[in-house]
Amino acid sequence: MDVDRDRERQQERTADQRRAERAAAAAFTVAILAGVGLFVVYFSGGQTQVEGVLFCLILGGLGVGVALWANHLLGAHEAVEERHELTSGAAGREAFGHALAEEVGPTLARRSVLVKLLAGAGGALGLALLLPVLSLGPAPGRTLKETPWRRGIRVVDETGRQVNLNSVPEDGFITVFPEGHEGSADAQALLIHVPAGSLKLPPDRMEGVPEGTHVAYSKICTHAGCPVGLYRATTRSLLCPCHQSQFDVLRGAKPFFGPAARPLPQLPLGVDEQGALIALGDFYEPVGPAFWDRGKP
Amino acid sequence: MTTMLERSLKYVDERLGTASFARRALRKVFPDHWSFLLGEIALFCLVVLVFTGTFLTFFYNPSVREVVYDGPYEPLRGQHVSAAYDSVLRLSFEVRAGLLMRQVHHWAALVFVAAIVIHLCRIFFTGAFRRPREVNWLIGMALLFLALGEGFTGYSLPDDLLSGIGLRIFYSVTLAIPVIGTWVTYLLFGGEFPAGDIISRLFVFHVMLLPALLIGLVVLHIFVLVLQKHTQFRGRGRTERNVVGKRLWPEQTFKSVSLLLLTTAVLALLGGLVQINPVWQYGQFRPFDVTSPAQPDWYIGWLDGALRLGPPWDLTLFGYTISEVFWPAILFPGIAFGILTLWPWIERRFFTRDYAEHHLLDLPRDAPARTATGAAGLMVFFIMFLEGGNDILGVLLNLSVEAITRDLQWALLIAPVVTWLVTFWVCRSLKRSRVHPARINAGLRLRRTAAGGYETTPLDPTSNPE
Repeated sequence: MDVDRDRERQQERTADQRRAERAAAAAFTVAILAGVGLFVVYFSGGQTQVEGVLFCLILGGLGVGVALWANHLLGAHEAVEERHELTSGAAGREAFGHALAEEVGPTLARRSVLVKLLAGAGGALGLALLLPVLSLGPAPGRTLKETPWRRGIRVVDETGRQVNLNSVPEDGFITVFPEGHEGSADAQALLIHVPAGSLKLPPDRMEGVPEGTHVAYSKICTHAGCPVGLYRATTRSLLCPCHQSQFDVLRGAKPFFGPAARPLPQLPLGVDEQGALIALGDFYEPVGPAFWDRGKP
Repeated sequence: MTTMLERSLKYVDERLGTASFARRALRKVFPDHWSFLLGEIALFCLVVLVFTGTFLTFFYNPSVREVVYDGPYEPLRGQHVSAAYDSVLRLSFEVRAGLLMRQVHHWAALVFVAAIVIHLCRIFFTGAFRRPREVNWLIGMALLFLALGEGFTGYSLPDDLLSGIGLRIFYSVTLAIPVIGTWVTYLLFGGEFPAGDIISRLFVFHVMLLPALLIGLVVLHIFVLVLQKHTQFRGRGRTERNVVGKRLWPEQTFKSVSLLLLTTAVLALLGGLVQINPVWQYGQFRPFDVTSPAQPDWYIGWLDGALRLGPPWDLTLFGYTISEVFWPAILFPGIAFGILTLWPWIERRFFTRDYAEHHLLDLPRDAPARTATGAAGLMVFFIMFLEGGNDILGVLLNLSVEAITRDLQWALLIAPVVTWLVTFWVCRSLKRSRVHPARINAGLRLRRTAAGGYETTPLDPTSNPE
C-alpha cells in the first residue's frame, strides 16, 4: 500500500519535473531569441521602447527559467541551522579589557598632563581639519538682504528691452529686472498694471507706484523661494504654483491663503524724463524666504 | 586526474584558507518567506543603479557653462542652455540606448526607495529590530537617508526647470535652519542661489560620496545580518535557538538570482515603455521661470505636501526670524525620523520593558501599540503625500486646491488618532481571537453542536500560517 503511494508520488514528481523542464527550456529560448533581436535593433539604429521590451525579455526569460529550476528541479530541502551565542561572555570582555589596559593603562594614570596635552593637540587637529570647509562658500554678509536694484536704475524685461508705462496692458503683468542684471535670481520682480484707484497701499508705499497703476513686487515667493508665476486678473491675486500661497496684489501682496507668512516685498518705481520706468531704490524688505537674521539691519 | 575546478579551489585555499569558511557560508539558512525578499529587491535595484549610473556618468557633464543647443530635438535648437542640460539631451537623443539607460536608472531609483520603505515596514511591524538587531536598525535608517539623498541629488543634476525649482525649495529649507541656516546654505551651495558651483557639487555627492557610504553601509548591513543570522516567523520546529528555511546553496542562490533577473526585467520594461522625467519638455532651468503643476519624485512628495499644509506662522524672537518653513520641513521631519530611528529604544522604554533577545518575529497584532503607532505614522506621511499632489487631485476630483488643503489639514489632525485607535482595537481583537485576518476561512473549523447550533474554532491556534 505505502509502496504504491510512494511510487505514485514519485511519478507525479517526475511528471511535474518534466513539465517544469519544458517550461524553463522555453523561457531560456525566449531569452536567447530576445538577445538576437536586441542585437538587430541596436545595430539598425536603436529604438528605446523596443530595446526596453527586448531587455525585459532576456532578463525575464532567464529569471523565469531560473525560478522554475529553483522551485521544481532542486527539490525542497528544509534546513535547520542552530544559532550560536552572540556574546563573548563576561570572561571574554574582561580578557579584552586586560589586553587593552596592559599596554597603555599605567601610562594613562601616571602622565595625566601628557594625556591632557594629547587631547588638546587632537582637538587642534580637528579644528584645523574643519578650516577647508569654510572655503566652500563666501560669508553671507548682507547678500541676502540686498538685490542689484538701486535708485535710478532702469527697469527692463528678460531680453533687456526698456519698460515704460505702455509696456503692460491693464490687468497684464510682466517679469522685470534691473538693467544689466537680466535673469537675476534675486532681483526678479513682477510689474502689474492694475486699474487706476484700485490699489490700497499706505501713502508712503503709493509713492513707489507710478500713476497709481504700475506696482512691482518681488517675484520670489516669501515661503520657499519659487517664482510666483501665476496672476489671476479676476481676483487680482498672485499664486505660487509650488505650494499655492496666494497674495493680494491690491493690498500690498499680503498672503491670504497658503503657507507663506510675509507679503511679497514691494519695489518702489518711478518714471524718468524719457518716460522709462526706473527704480527708486531696492525692495522695501529682504526678498525671498525667511532666514535667521532677516530682521536685523 | 584533477579537474580545473578542484585545482583552482586548491590554489585559492592553500593561499587564503577559504574552503571551510566558504563551506559554512553555502550552508547558511534563509527563512522561506516572501517578506524576506524585500531587502533583496532593494539590493538588486542598487546593482542596477550602479551599472546604469556608471554608463550615464560617461556622458554627463556637470557644468553650468552656457552653450547653444544644436542637437536633433527641434523645439530647443538654438537656445542657450547649460552644458549639464545639453549633455542630458545628447544622452537622451543621440547616444544609442542612452535614453533607455537614463529611464531605467530613474525607475530603479524610484523602486529602490520603495523597496527600502516596504522592507523597513516589514522590520518595524514584525519587531525584527529588537535586541540584538538595534545596530542593524540604525544602519538601515542611515541607508534610507542616503537613498533619499542619492535620489534628490540625482534628480537635480539634469539642470532642467523642474529640478531647479526643487533645488530652490531645498535651498529655502536649509536657509530656515535656526541660527546657522545662512552659513550652512552658503557653504553647501557656494553662495546665494543659484551659485554656479551647486551642480558640480551635487555631482560629487551623487556619484562619489553618497554611493561610497551607501555601498559601504550595505556591506556592513549584510555582514551584521550574517553574524546575527536571520529572524523568522513562529512555526513548527522554529525556536529562538534555530533558523529554519532554505540553504544559501543551492536553493536560496537560485531564488535570489532569479529575483535579481526579474527585478531588472521589470525595470528594463518600465525604462523602455514608461516615459519618466522628460527634461526636454521642462526646458532649461532659469531662476524666474516656473512650471505648474510641479511634483517631485514620489519619495519627496510628503515633504512637498508638508510645505503646502504648513501654517503661515513665522516667529520673531529678539529680532531673529524663525521661518514658516521651519515647522513642516525641519521640525516635523526631525521629530518623525527621530522617533523612527530611536524606536527600538522608545518601545522598550515606554511600552514593553522588554530587554530580552528575540529571534522569533511578532505578527503585527502581537504588539498592538507598536502596530498602531506605525500605522498612524504612515497615515501622517500618506496625508502629506496626498497634499503634495493637491493640484493634480484638484483637477481629477474637480475640487479647488484651497478646499483640498483645508480638508487635509483637518485630516492631518484627526486621521492619525483615528488610525491609531482603530489599529490598536483591531490588533487586540485579532490577538484574542487568534485568527489570521487574511485566512479566516482556512483557519476555522465549523462544528455542529449537539443542540443543533454551530460554533467555530480556529484549526490550529498556535501555528503561524507561514
